[in-house]
Amino acid sequence: MALLDLELVDRARGGDPEAFRDLVVRHQRRVYAVALGIVKDRDLAWDVSQDAFVRVHRHLSEFRDESSFSTWIHRITARVAIDVLRKERPSRRSDVADVPEPVLQEAAPGVLSTALGTDPQETVLRRELAARLTEALGQLPDVHRTVLVLREMDGLSYEELAERLSIPRGTVMSRLFHARKKMQAMLAGYAGIDAPGSGDRS
Amino acid sequence: MKCAGAAPLLGSRPGELDPTEEAALSAHLSSCEACRARQADHEALARVVENGLLGEAARRDFSAFADGVMARIPAATWRGAPAPGLLGRVLELLRRHRVLATASALAPALAALALYLYIGRTSGTGPLEFSVEVTSEDLAPMVLDTSDGPIILVGEASDGT
Repeated sequence: MALLDLELVDRARGGDPEAFRDLVVRHQRRVYAVALGIVKDRDLAWDVSQDAFVRVHRHLSEFRDESSFSTWIHRITARVAIDVLRKERPSRRSDVADVPEPVLQEAAPGVLSTALGTDPQETVLRRELAARLTEALGQLPDVHRTVLVLREMDGLSYEELAERLSIPRGTVMSRLFHARKKMQAMLAGYAGIDAPGSGDRS
Repeated sequence: MKCAGAAPLLGSRPGELDPTEEAALSAHLSSCEACRARQADHEALARVVENGLLGEAARRDFSAFADGVMARIPAATWRGAPAPGLLGRVLELLRRHRVLATASALAPALAALALYLYIGRTSGTGPLEFSVEVTSEDLAPMVLDTSDGPIILVGEASDGT
């Protein structure tokens, strides 16, 4: 897959529009998924994704063949999406209110993983939670959602997240912790597997 | 280490924590069933996040997406596109060779500076008047004394100026 990407990049650099179109088609859904995870609005994510590809084309000559094209394009997508969030944040402040208190109750440790099981096969519950995922993500504050999506979709390390978001490493870890806690509580609640009241055991 | 201290470290990947944190977390996990369960929850959540967002993308109709991207890219960038006019070619040349554009802009200023320095160095009581010829093939200015007066060379002109 990576080899085909590099071949397509090479042809696109030479001015082959079909090669670039093929690159777009190969990566469009995952790019859109990353954008949606960050900006949470479907139409905005569509625009962000297209803008990311236009920027990719504009900077194609700067792409280094030894790195992954997929990683590169996701980095650009995340940058575009975060820029959009930063521009829109003042007018969307009311959208990022904290999750309601009852939802913030931590699900009993292990309840999510137990319910989903270790079987990698897609279960009904897994499909149900995936379908509610964007709804749950939409309830997170921007800063929590962004760090969680970049971590889980792009696989960024703590250091990379700190650099990308211009925040200290400790803040990355703190935001990830809170984002996960809220998401697990919400997803467990959606699935009817919440067991509130369980606290730390040690 | 207690659960409150271990919780933010859960979900880390090998090598991401410093050795002290790594050792403390490892020791805590070996004795804390709740935090091992939380760790498992993190892994489950990671899969749900990825599957959920990719599933959302899979449900969307992307048939017009690539066309939308291609429409936003200037057609002139593709091979076989109609040749741009003279102005378009000049602008494209300047866009691609910003150093050249900067050098072109600086060349007259460098020539003027060289002339000023030369006159200042050779004059006794005041500026001398010369008939001068200026060329600007490149960046580095040089002044030649000739029987017709000084000639300023900007760059390495091989054909004599």
